[in-house]
Amino acid sequence: MSNGTSEVMPLPPSRRRFITVALGAISGAIAAILGVPLAGFFALPAVRRRDFDWAEVGLVEQFKSGEISLAILKPLKRPVWPEEAPKMAVFVSRKADGSFEIFHSHCTHVGCPINWNPGAQRFFSPCHGGVFDQDGRVLAGPPPRPLDRHEWKVERGVLYAGPIYLVNDRLERVGHYHA
Amino acid sequence: MKLGDWLDERLSTRQLARAFFDRRIPKAVGWLHTLGSATLFLLLVQILTGIFLSFYYVPSAEQAYGSVEYITKEVPFGSYVRGLHRWSASLVIIFAVLHLLRVFFTGAYKYPREASWVVGVLLLGVIFAFGFTGYLLPWDQKAYWATVVGTHIAETAPGIGDLVARLLKGGPDVGVKTLGRFYAFHALFLPTILILLVALHLFMVIRQGIAPPPVGRLAVIRKDEYRERYEESKAEGHTFLEHMVRDGMVALALLVLASWLALRYGAPLEEIADPTTTTYVPRPEWYFYFLFELLWLFPGQWTVVATFWIPTLGFLFLLLLPFLDRGPERSPRLRPVALAIGSGVVAGVLFLTYQGATAPAPPGRASVETARLSPELRKGREVYEAQGCAACHMIAGEGGAAGPDLSKIGSVRDLDWLKRFIKDPQAVKPGSPMPDSKELPEESLSAMAQYLVSLK
Repeated sequence: MSNGTSEVMPLPPSRRRFITVALGAISGAIAAILGVPLAGFFALPAVRRRDFDWAEVGLVEQFKSGEISLAILKPLKRPVWPEEAPKMAVFVSRKADGSFEIFHSHCTHVGCPINWNPGAQRFFSPCHGGVFDQDGRVLAGPPPRPLDRHEWKVERGVLYAGPIYLVNDRLERVGHYHA
Repeated sequence: MKLGDWLDERLSTRQLARAFFDRRIPKAVGWLHTLGSATLFLLLVQILTGIFLSFYYVPSAEQAYGSVEYITKEVPFGSYVRGLHRWSASLVIIFAVLHLLRVFFTGAYKYPREASWVVGVLLLGVIFAFGFTGYLLPWDQKAYWATVVGTHIAETAPGIGDLVARLLKGGPDVGVKTLGRFYAFHALFLPTILILLVALHLFMVIRQGIAPPPVGRLAVIRKDEYRERYEESKAEGHTFLEHMVRDGMVALALLVLASWLALRYGAPLEEIADPTTTTYVPRPEWYFYFLFELLWLFPGQWTVVATFWIPTLGFLFLLLLPFLDRGPERSPRLRPVALAIGSGVVAGVLFLTYQGATAPAPPGRASVETARLSPELRKGREVYEAQGCAACHMIAGEGGAAGPDLSKIGSVRDLDWLKRFIKDPQAVKPGSPMPDSKELPEESLSAMAQYLVSLK
């Protein structure tokens, strides 16, 4: 149990350097063999690019022209567990010309769930006073951009929602949400 | 003590114990020096209650909520154990911050304790990470939406935001995989890091000795005179064993306090998480209020200042403090700049936390007693509610805080002004953030303005 200097033996510098390099190489190899697969295991499923699964919104006729209503997306196929998407709500706007706009239900500020007020014809976010008009433009509050929207298509009378994209202040598409 | 002798003969344990318990500590070490051990004690309570909660908790989207409900309602002492975990978590944050403030204001982060400070700040980061990952686990509305907001905030980080948010969520949305990840972080990864960092922090404290309070000849210590002054101070000090009585009393008092809070208030469990809700108003835990309230100050394109730059640069500044402030002065009275900055930050954080804690009832649900209103005023009130004005304005304590409080608007503005302003705010007050109401029928506009004028 003594820590006397007799137990310490300095190595010649060249030998010490060699051993340091050797230990470094061994540690590096161990770190790489464990680290690379584990990092991939953790990160890759999260960042993997997948084609967004189109989801069913509902029958076209259930959306009245000129109105905005809430709909729950129904995934087309029920995938195996890990890829299962959570239930998502969207706001469907059917315009007078028959075209659609499908708004993502998260505020573009920090993601609070927006609600549609048909009396005011406006979307309100409950957290920091964000207000959007019926086209998703920012009317008031801190949101930095108009509401995000889903691509949409109609097939055999059924409305489908696709990938989410971002628009700028002139409502021009500027990019994918999950790029 | 046969066993003691047996061990001592083989491992020289007596010598170790003497060196630990009987070592002298600097003079004037007192109650303020119990903050660190109080934090450590609360962390041990967290580890213990956390381990026991995991006997019943199931980290899956289908079962998490049910298992937490089961713990709270069915398991004997379940509500107490969960309540203790929840309240002790809040106390950890309070005491970690108080400990940091003590170290800051007494200059204890200066030579030779810079590394202890850095490890301590990392520990504070780990503690906040525990908070953020912990409240997703019950999978109730608060859990789900706080995580949606938290990961949206991560997304705003310039360049790497999307990647960070995805790594946190495990995919594009908050869902099953997010819960699994947060559970792994909260119950496995973070505790490992926590224990390693705490061990390192304690090793440094024991190796270097407790920092001397900056009184008398210790108010200013240059690097070359440090050792001598410290030995001087210790020569007049007591032993660590005596100080441990104070530590023990604080620990017991905190356990009693946390137990009382747990029994009295328990731990809340809201409705089960619903990603499709449109009426839920997300609120973070109180210790994130200051960040949530900060968002009010930085709207639009400035959001990233509140969500990324202030937290990141603030944390970096804290981390690097001992290398930025290297003067020999340790007494707060001799460090006016540090004192001013420190007090300013504390006041700001306290103010924002207070704002968050006293934030008005969720907007959009304002329902003032309309029975007492005359029919005309009631009509105006209905328009006010239907137009969603309460999302931003408050009347009698109900509504949002984004716009001015209208509870006494009638004593400030007249009918004509209100009508003109509500119809087209830009025309009356250029730059007003309020949306216009040009499409609102004249009759409704009048009714609402009359209602508002009646508020005095």
